[in-house]
Amino acid sequence: MENLTNVVSQVKKNLQKVSDLEKLEELTIRYLGRHGLINETLQKIKEIDPGKRREFGQKINAVKEEINKLFLIKKNQLIKNDEALTDFDNTLPGRPYPKGSLHMISYATEEISAIFSKIGFIRMTYPEIEREYFSFDSLNMPPDHPGRDDFETFFLKAQKDPQLGKMILSPHTSSGQVREMWRVGTPPIRMISIGKCYRPNWDTTHTPMFHQFESLCVDRSINITHLKGTIDYFVKQYFGEDREARLRPHHFQFTEPSFEVDITCGVCHGRGDGVKCRVCKSGWLELAGAGMVHPNVLKHGKINANEYNGWAFAFGIERLLMVRGGLKNMRDLYTGDIRFLEQF
Amino acid sequence: MNIKITYNWLLEYLETDADPYELQKYLSLCGPSIERVQQIGVDYVLDIEVTTNRVETASVFGIAQEATAILPQFGKKAKLKINPLQKYTFSSMNTKPGEHMKLDITIADHNLCPRFTAIVYKDINIKPAPDLIKQRLQMCDIKSINNIVDISNYLMLSLGQPVHMFDYDKIIAHKMILRESKKGEKITTLDEKEIILPGGDIVIEDGSGRLIDLCGIMGGLNSAINNKTTTIVFFIQNYDKKRIRRTSMITGQRTVAATYFEKGLDPQRVETTFVYGIDLLNELSGGISASPLYDIYPHPYQIKEINVTLDFINRLIGVSIEQNKVKYILENLGFKVEIHHNEDYESFHIKVPSYRSGDVDIKEDIVEEVARVYGYHNLNNAIQPTIYVKQPRDIEMLFVIQQKIKYFLKHLGLNEMMNYSMISKELIDKLALDSDNKLVIDNSISEEIRYMRTSLIPSLIKNIKDNENKKDKLKFFEIAKIYEKKESLLPNEIYRLGLATNTDFFDLKGIIQALLNELNISEYQIIRWESKHYLPSTSVEWRLADIPAIRMGQIKKTYQEAMGIKSSLFVAEIEFSALIKNYQAIATFKPLSPYAIIKLDLNLKHNQKQTYDKIRKTAFATTPLLTNVELLDLYKGKITLRFYFSSSHKNLTEEEVKKELQKIQNKLQ
Repeated sequence: MENLTNVVSQVKKNLQKVSDLEKLEELTIRYLGRHGLINETLQKIKEIDPGKRREFGQKINAVKEEINKLFLIKKNQLIKNDEALTDFDNTLPGRPYPKGSLHMISYATEEISAIFSKIGFIRMTYPEIEREYFSFDSLNMPPDHPGRDDFETFFLKAQKDPQLGKMILSPHTSSGQVREMWRVGTPPIRMISIGKCYRPNWDTTHTPMFHQFESLCVDRSINITHLKGTIDYFVKQYFGEDREARLRPHHFQFTEPSFEVDITCGVCHGRGDGVKCRVCKSGWLELAGAGMVHPNVLKHGKINANEYNGWAFAFGIERLLMVRGGLKNMRDLYTGDIRFLEQF
Repeated sequence: MNIKITYNWLLEYLETDADPYELQKYLSLCGPSIERVQQIGVDYVLDIEVTTNRVETASVFGIAQEATAILPQFGKKAKLKINPLQKYTFSSMNTKPGEHMKLDITIADHNLCPRFTAIVYKDINIKPAPDLIKQRLQMCDIKSINNIVDISNYLMLSLGQPVHMFDYDKIIAHKMILRESKKGEKITTLDEKEIILPGGDIVIEDGSGRLIDLCGIMGGLNSAINNKTTTIVFFIQNYDKKRIRRTSMITGQRTVAATYFEKGLDPQRVETTFVYGIDLLNELSGGISASPLYDIYPHPYQIKEINVTLDFINRLIGVSIEQNKVKYILENLGFKVEIHHNEDYESFHIKVPSYRSGDVDIKEDIVEEVARVYGYHNLNNAIQPTIYVKQPRDIEMLFVIQQKIKYFLKHLGLNEMMNYSMISKELIDKLALDSDNKLVIDNSISEEIRYMRTSLIPSLIKNIKDNENKKDKLKFFEIAKIYEKKESLLPNEIYRLGLATNTDFFDLKGIIQALLNELNISEYQIIRWESKHYLPSTSVEWRLADIPAIRMGQIKKTYQEAMGIKSSLFVAEIEFSALIKNYQAIATFKPLSPYAIIKLDLNLKHNQKQTYDKIRKTAFATTPLLTNVELLDLYKGKITLRFYFSSSHKNLTEEEVKKELQKIQNKLQ
């Protein structure tokens, strides 16, 4: 009983030695835990005169309260000390986690698919190894068309099909147009296809394999303003609201009228005239080919050209990356150099 | 193709208040694209892109014609000062042909040369051309040579029709036989290159077997004009465009003339150019005509006619353009237009000029002419009505799962590769692959890309090789098609996922297991698999729903060394279709068990007879209370495993579980 008063001074002495919260916790248990000094002492109440028990209890509780207070003060002091600590280097790097990479083409594919799915276009896929019929004849490209010769198209050593012609590596995604018309049978058609194409060219702006992204829309009463609207939508989604697209007259066998799609230059912002820009031609960059589906193509697609019409366009994905992503040398995409690829 | 002309030259044909930059802006929007304008002295050079169907605009006059149609749409004045098509005709030519210096002309096949014109001029005085012509040609990147050669080039740029001149005296016997070449015939062209002909080229022979012209591409050196020339053959033709392109591409003689002829030229323009040329010769050469005028033109142009309604034009464009405006636009482009008033609609009866007959055939072509001059920039942007079109389920899954896999592997730290679909014979040989089962490109441009891939692994191995010194740990993947050759049909194009690492077997195995987990594919068997390329103890096949789906292993050292790769190589190839088929969007799951799980560890022998897989299988076969086995450690022929037990209907006691573990232990070593 008399050592209860000593307890408080004992606690005070012990607390002075405590320098962290862990030790404080140990000390707290020693005095205030289930088997701590205070509880142990309290157990002894049974041995005491019933008449003195009340006084005994009050005393102990007073001591307990005092100890509690001491502990709390110490605890707050320690927490404060902790917060004031400065020898923690928060500039050290975090623990490393693996970081892989995807190919630039994969990201572009994902992005383009998402942009077009919002306006109801489904993504499809068609053969990369094709017959001349789908790549040329059905697209209104006659047998003597320069695009069909050895310098523009890869031919495979394989048997020629009497109806569909030689086996080739598809030189453009447009080979899917008539295939899609056959698949669907009756319009509407709202298709995009992103795929590998092949042509015998190999320099800084051409690789023998490249990617195109094709879109085809066939329905009743489709007109040029629809094509223009869709291209404008895509350009603003993909390149940004501040970019403008324009159509210029061009020539393709499988569209009539045909257009070239230009976009305002991201470097000189379309100022063009007078200002020499290292990137563009007079403020605009060529981006894609487009046009209204030629009636002969619809005929090959077994679609009534008097009832339906449509538009189609094809962008080179590498070209998109060059225009938007600052890609300089197309070959970097396909040499498989980890130092280039792991950045993405 | 691109051509250069000058602004002042253009003004000889065109009366306009548009400056060069306005011209650039407006023509580019509605017609030929003027890519650059460059001021040189008092003149401006216009660099113009011409599309293949509009080769007649690759000329000063052609641009002037376009300008007369386009500029008024922008409020600019534009009209032709002269129209050479009307001014220069044989009937208006004021030079009388001479008689005594004849040419003996034979054309073997008129398909080779639809129109052939020529005349002999004598007493020519070879000297420099006047400064104006010299300067204009030089500004347009054409070297000035002498008055005669410069006239040829000046004509070509003025009207879009290439012209050739021979030295008459160098044509022995004055014979010209225009025919197909035989394979292996030789000609030395003006640039002093000897060309061995592929055969089927259009050539002119002088009757002695000597070739004097590689038609449409370049003249022969043996009949070339030089300073001593006094008599020339002035010579303008049309040729079969297909043959010109073929010869030009095969022989590599990509001359300016060839880029014109290969697009197909207007036979009527031959006459215009000829008569204008005679004017220039009379003025600048000092010569006089000395032969009859030869014009061999068996099938003159028949006027092409097209009917189209106003409604059709407006529906396809998506605006309403007035009838008179349509007529005005077309007439400025050189079409002849009659309006027919029918009961309830208006239609146009249109005659196509000869120089447009190559590209204007159908109603849609007329729409294009109207729309472009009206201005695409004047049309609205209007996305077509959006409707629901169903994407085939299998295609949807293909893309959804591809995307999932790509990101998953990326987040595991793998790098995605995208290789060419073709591989080299060298790679095939180094890896002792079969070449017979691969499709071969007939006209490849490089040995690097000749065989169509039947597996993604060889390319990935090459990726490892190419990157070995760039980074220590290499983990690559690629998703692409392989091409399974079929006898006469198109190949099967099959999507695969290829993986390659230089780390270790269990790293790769872990990647595959993690991937299967991600796709919620939990049911598979792994069995041994015989392979020529994989180290036997590492060569395994994974079966999903009993179908072979994944093959993996370590590449044998012999192949690794053949490739010159230092570290060990671990590869796997996965059938994409198997992943799609077994994929589950949501994992099969069990409700939370209210009963406790008890874990006990066991140390066992680990060897070829008692593999991890055997222990696992034995353990599961022994007790139904086992729910999981976890590998904790491997050490000196011992394996430490943790066994998880629980019951679905009660709490197990430690005693019960120990009994179960004992049963397992009894069956094992």
